[in-house]
Formats: sequence, structure tokens, C-alpha cells
Amino acid sequence: MIRLALTRVAWMVPILLGVSVVAFLLMRALPGDFVQASAGTTELAPEALDTIRRSLGLDRPVWEQYLDWLARVLAGDFGTSFVTQRPVLDELLPRLLVTAELTFFAGLMALLLGAGSGLAAARLRGRVDWLVRTVNGILLAVPNFVFATLVVLLAGLYFPEVGIFNYTPFFTDPLGNIGSMLLPALSLALAVSVTISENTRAAVLEVSSQDFVMVARAKGLLPRTVLRNYLVRNALTPVITVTGLQLASLLGGSILIETIFTIPGMGQHLFESVTTRNYPVIQAIVLVAATIVLLVNVLVDIAYARVDARVRYD
Amino acid sequence: MTVHNPAPLLRVQGLTARFGRGAQPVVKGISFQIGAGEAVGFVGESGCGKSVTARALMRLAPEGSSVELGGSVLFQGEELLQLGENAICDIRGRRIAMVFQDPMASLNPVMTVGAQIDDIVRRHTGVGKLAARQRSISLLDQVGIRDAAQRANDYPHQFSGGMRQRVLIAMAVSCAPDLLIADEPTTALDVTVQAQILRLLMRLRHELGMALMLITHDFGVIAGMVERVYVMLDGEIVESGGVDAVFAAPQHSYTRALLDAVPRLHAPGERP
Amino acid sequence: MTDTRKPGRAAGRSLIALGLFMLLGMVVVTALGPWVAPFNPSATSPDSLAGPSAQHWLGTDSIGRDVLSRLIIGGRTTLLITFVAVAVALAGGVVLGLLSGYVGGLVDQLVMRALDVIFAFPVFLLAIAVVAALGPTVPNLILTIAVVYTPRLARVVRGPVLSVKRWDHVEAARSVGVGEFRIAVRHVLPLVVSPILVETSLVLAQTIFTVTALSFLGLGPPPPDPNWGGMLSEGRQFMELAPLTVIGPACAIVFATLTFIVLANGLRERLDVTGK
Repeated sequence: MIRLALTRVAWMVPILLGVSVVAFLLMRALPGDFVQASAGTTELAPEALDTIRRSLGLDRPVWEQYLDWLARVLAGDFGTSFVTQRPVLDELLPRLLVTAELTFFAGLMALLLGAGSGLAAARLRGRVDWLVRTVNGILLAVPNFVFATLVVLLAGLYFPEVGIFNYTPFFTDPLGNIGSMLLPALSLALAVSVTISENTRAAVLEVSSQDFVMVARAKGLLPRTVLRNYLVRNALTPVITVTGLQLASLLGGSILIETIFTIPGMGQHLFESVTTRNYPVIQAIVLVAATIVLLVNVLVDIAYARVDARVRYD
Repeated sequence: MTVHNPAPLLRVQGLTARFGRGAQPVVKGISFQIGAGEAVGFVGESGCGKSVTARALMRLAPEGSSVELGGSVLFQGEELLQLGENAICDIRGRRIAMVFQDPMASLNPVMTVGAQIDDIVRRHTGVGKLAARQRSISLLDQVGIRDAAQRANDYPHQFSGGMRQRVLIAMAVSCAPDLLIADEPTTALDVTVQAQILRLLMRLRHELGMALMLITHDFGVIAGMVERVYVMLDGEIVESGGVDAVFAAPQHSYTRALLDAVPRLHAPGERP
Repeated sequence: MTDTRKPGRAAGRSLIALGLFMLLGMVVVTALGPWVAPFNPSATSPDSLAGPSAQHWLGTDSIGRDVLSRLIIGGRTTLLITFVAVAVALAGGVVLGLLSGYVGGLVDQLVMRALDVIFAFPVFLLAIAVVAALGPTVPNLILTIAVVYTPRLARVVRGPVLSVKRWDHVEAARSVGVGEFRIAVRHVLPLVVSPILVETSLVLAQTIFTVTALSFLGLGPPPPDPNWGGMLSEGRQFMELAPLTVIGPACAIVFATLTFIVLANGLRERLDVTGK
């Protein structure tokens, strides 16, 4: 068990390094722009630009710059925002928490909707199965930002009194906070719920045909006991795995949803930074997001191994 | 040696089974009976319908498909084919129990072995957790699992095939059923283990006074285990009788073929 | 155990037919764009935020441009970027997958690790970052999307290659002296075709999302080129007054995505590919 966890973490390290290299290189792609951007809109003479370059260490070899940057990042210093001149990390953390909340709600909704519909489709078959699969197909075709925009449009047209855009921080007003998160989380959750639904359906069908389910029925156990302890518990492991792996998709989508619903999260922060060419922030967000995704993937792997005693000994 | 009782434990008449309306019947109107405490064998090759028959008695259909049953299955005077779902659930595991063929796939991988015996005990006797666990441990002990108390907390993958089959047998006899159906209980096991499992079944049967319906494709397994035997071919019963009689003088050509197929370690004419 | 999908194959065929029909429709309309569109997409008029009329079937936007024309011309750009980008990703993916799977060993490990790095990034995040770094021009968009989706296609190709390599009759062919290239073509390629077709359809559907999402955020093809994502974003300002400015592009995006999803599902059923 520990060995499995360690191997997975060890596997993660070179990839994390690769991720950091990509994040670093991304913003070094056009050094001229970088310095220009750092200087902002002020027109500067070439000598001044050179001085800035030297102060930023841009005259040193790339690999030195990278190691320097990496060392600082590991110490928690993500640099200073070009726009506000404040440390990137200070501005990023609260926004990260907001996105975390949104992503959590979206993931939960997706799990409930998806697992529920998948289970229904697998157990009830026939028309229910057909209905679920058709709805899934349609939902898959509607991108989350399109859905969100249409929702805002509908709200504006038919429910003008309902405030869509009043995001309130959690600690100010917990209920209001959750209320304001509902529609954004739903928009984010729909596409992901389709994947979960399909996987749940497949998993339940697969487990249903296993011998031990028939043995359970032959023991005279009540159908709901069989469903709960034999079917769902076995089908759950692949489903949870899939849900965890959807995190990347949720994070990506949060950029769009936060922008549409004006939620001050990491995604919106990224968008603003892109518009203002605020490179240190872009770099930090890309790095943080990829790291989170990797970590979650590894955790999901380990959790899967724990729940499924079979896998552990493979 | 038992004879046909006036009111046998199980009387099946004209049982038919088909998968889906209008499909060809897999079981074509067979009739047989099993007396209380009697051991009866069902022999035939794969596809002859013996497993379907066994499952039909418990009204178990493979997941996702529906089986249409016809005829009459009288068990302790009750017509099983007419019972509602709840009633049949009460009978399963309690008065009729089954041991299946493949022990490697028959246990829930995410539940401990003890928990899987607990749940059938609690379902049919309603005792509390502790009492059920004690019963499970004693059952594991009865079927020959050493360190039963500790092993009850282990998962199926920590047991060998033979041990898993013992666990499944423990589950099946846990509520002292009146009829135990064993569907190819040794087919998936190593040869040395097969004999152990068969001996276990015999011992339990005598201890608990259960009737035994032993299904197999191998005549060698039947010998010494049952009193009467039915031979099935292609959904029908082609021969039946006392096991000694059938061994000595098989009437049907198919029976003869089956008997010839058993590898003999003794001179012809001698029974193992 | 997979259930026998005989009825699935017939359903698959009709889905493929439907998908191809939709695809053809889209491609024809957008290809013939300049001749089919009733107005110049950039032509402004004083008649702004108008509802549907005989002149403007889908009304006009905030500076009086015809919505329908902008949708048609915008479709050209969107679809062009999509097809080219996916074609590049496909080429890259097939080459990398074949290489990695066939050569195996260290090369395989290195390539797969490198691809894992790209996999670690949320697709959309990576796309935004790259476009932000390189600048939002059409070639850059194509490059970004190609880079982002190559790993997926490479993985799909690599799988069958790895398993075929070990097959007995491939070993037999090799021992008799059949050249590696012939082996690759005769044995590996047919296996790869089915999953690749399905995966490519799925990637096409996702690319529509990525392209339109990027342009929604303002990182798409620069104006005056109309594009669906940009139209959706611009329309938001006055959408309550002229809902069609938003519903129009929304439907276009959904239609395009649906086309590829229908194709993917149809191919999946028809080719009997076990879904992931």
C-alpha cells in the first residue's frame, strides 16, 4: 500500500518538473514582449529596457533563469503581479479557494446527476435507458459557456428580479453564497455529468453480470441489499476514479463560467491576466492548476487501490 | 437408501424453460423428484439444461435476460413457480440453497468473507451483528477453514480456489436448508481439492440431514455421493434410476458414452 | 462482458448517415459562404438590434450587422481552424503513436512521459496560456490546438500497435522475412483505423468547443473576422433586447458539436469499438 503510494508519487515528480518547464518556457517565448509587458504602457528607451532585462536576470542563460525561478517558486515566491505590484501568491490564494468551492459543487452535482442517471439507465433499461442516453448526447453538444450564457439570457428575460451576478463570499453570507453558486456550478457540471453517467451505466451493467451478484440473489438477500452492497459498491470504484479525473475538465471550464457569472475565482483571474499580459500571474495559475490536477490523479489512483482490495494485490 | 416418498420434498413436473417468448425451449418438459434427505445426481454435458433447471428451481435468471418457465415445481407442497418475488426471496438461501461452479468469481471482492456469511445469516434469522459473526466463524470452522475467527476478516482474494468454495458452502448451509443444490461444485478446482470438497459436502449433508441435488458432467463425481441419478441430454431426461443400477447396466446410448468417458483406475467391471 | 451489438450496427449506420448529412450541410453552406450570405458580414447599418425580418432572417446585432451572414462567414473561419488543427494533431498523433509503440523501449518511455506532461494540463488552460504567449492569430490557434490534442491521438494509436507487435502471426511473418513496413501496413493499420476514426470525431467535437471558447474570451481570430464564439460574447451586452444575437451563435455551436458527436457515436456502434 505504502509502496504503491510511493511509486505513484515518484512517477509524478518528473512530470511535475516537465510541467514547471512548460510553464516557465511559456512566458519566455517572446522575451521582448515580456520586458515590454513588465514595463507596462510606458515608453522606455532601449537602454532602460536593457537595465530592466538585467535586473530581471534575462541576460543569463535560460537554464539558470529556470532554476532560479524554480527555487523561488518552491519557496513560495511566485513573483510580483505586473498590474498591482503585489505578490502573485497573495492575490491568487483567495481566488483559488473560490474556484475550489465552485469546482467542488460542480463535481458533486455532476456525480449525483451522472451516477443517478447512469444507475437508472442500467437498472431500468428500456425507455429510461434510451432517454438517459439521448439526453446525454444532447447535453454533450452544448458547451458549458453556451449553456451559461443562455441561462443568463433566460433569467434576464423572464426573471429579471433574480440577481444572477451577485456573488457573495462564503463567510459574509453562507446561504447567499451557495445560492449564487448554484447556476454556475450546474453549467459547469452538465458536461461532466455525461461522462460520469456513461461510466456508471457501463460499470453497473458490467457488475450486474458477475457471478457474485447471482450468488447474492441466491442467498435470498433483498434486492435493495444486493443493489447497495454488491452492485453499487463494486461499480462505485470506477465511477469515483472517473469523477476525479474530470477535475481537469472542471478547472478548464471554470475560466469560462467565472467570467460569465462574474465570480472572482482563479479562472477569472487568469482571463484578466491574459488580457493585461500579466505574465507572472499566468505562469503561476498554469503551474498551480497542473499541479492540482496531477495531485488529484495520483490521489484517485491510490484511493482506488484502497477501495478495491483486488487491485491492491495486482 | 431411500424410496420415493408419498410426499417428496421436491416434485417437478413438465418443467420447461425458454429464454424469451417464442424461443426454443432449453428445458423441454422434464419431471423428477427428490425426497427429504435424499441425494440425487444430475449428469449431462454442458448445454444440456441441467444448470438452467437448477436455477429455475430458485427462479434465478441471468441478469438482463428473462426466462419463461412452465410446468410445476412443488417444493414442500408449495408451487414455486407461482410465488411472488418476496416469497421466493424468503425461500432462497433459507430452505433451498445453491453452491455455484466458479468459486473465483462467486464472492464479492469488496466485502470480507465474514461479512458475506453474516448477511445471509442476518437476513434469514434476524440476529444482531455479533451473534451473526459468531455463527459465521463457527461455520467457517465447520467447513475446515483454520483460524476461522481471523480469516473471517479477510477478503476473498486472500483465499485459494478450494478455500473459497468452502466459504461458499458455508454460506449455503448457514441456515440449514432442506435442499442444497450443488451446480458443478468441483469443476473449477484442482483434482486433489475436488475430493476434499466432495467429502465436505457429504459430511455436511449427513450432519444437517439436507437433500442434495448434485449437478455435474462427470460421472466419476457422482459415484459414492448420490443414491439416484438422472441423465440429461438436450433439455430432456433420457435415463434415471438408482446409481448402482445405472452404472452397471446403462439403458441409453448417451449414458453409456458418459460412463465410458470416466477415466478408470480399476479393471473394467469394478467400481472405484 | 460486452453485449452483442447487432441492433447497434444498424443504428450505427443511420447515425453515421445523419452525422455525415449534417457535416455536409455545414461544410457546403460555409464553403459557399460569400455567395450564400445575404449581406456582407462587416456591413454595418443603422438598423441595429432588429428582430427577425424578411430582410434579416435572424435580425441584426448592436451595430446593425446581419446575424445570419455573420454566422455563415464565421462558420468558415471556425470550421477551417477546426479541421486544419485536428488534421495536424492527427498527423502528429499517428506518427508519434506509431513511432512510440513500434520502437518501444526508451523511446516509448520518453515520448509517453513527454505526452503525460501535456496531459497534466487542463486542456483549456493550456490553450489559453499558449495563445496568450504566442498571440491570437489563426496560425497560432491552429498550432495550439494541434499541440493540445496530439497526445490523445498518439495514445489511441499506440495501444493497438503495442498489442499487435506481440501477435503470433506477426512474429511468424517477421521470421519469414516480411519487411517491417509491410507488417505495419497490413497488420497494425487496420486495427488502428477504427479507434482513430472514433477518437478523431470526438476530438473534432472538443475542438469546436475550444475554438469557440477561446474566441468567446477574446483570444480567437482577431476582428473583423466574425466567429461564433466572439459573436456569442459580443451579443451578451444587449441580449435581452435582441436574443437572436446570442441564440444564433449558440445554435450554430451546438449544431457543429452535435454533428461530430453523432458521427462519433455512429462510428462507435458501427465499428463495434469498446468505448473508454
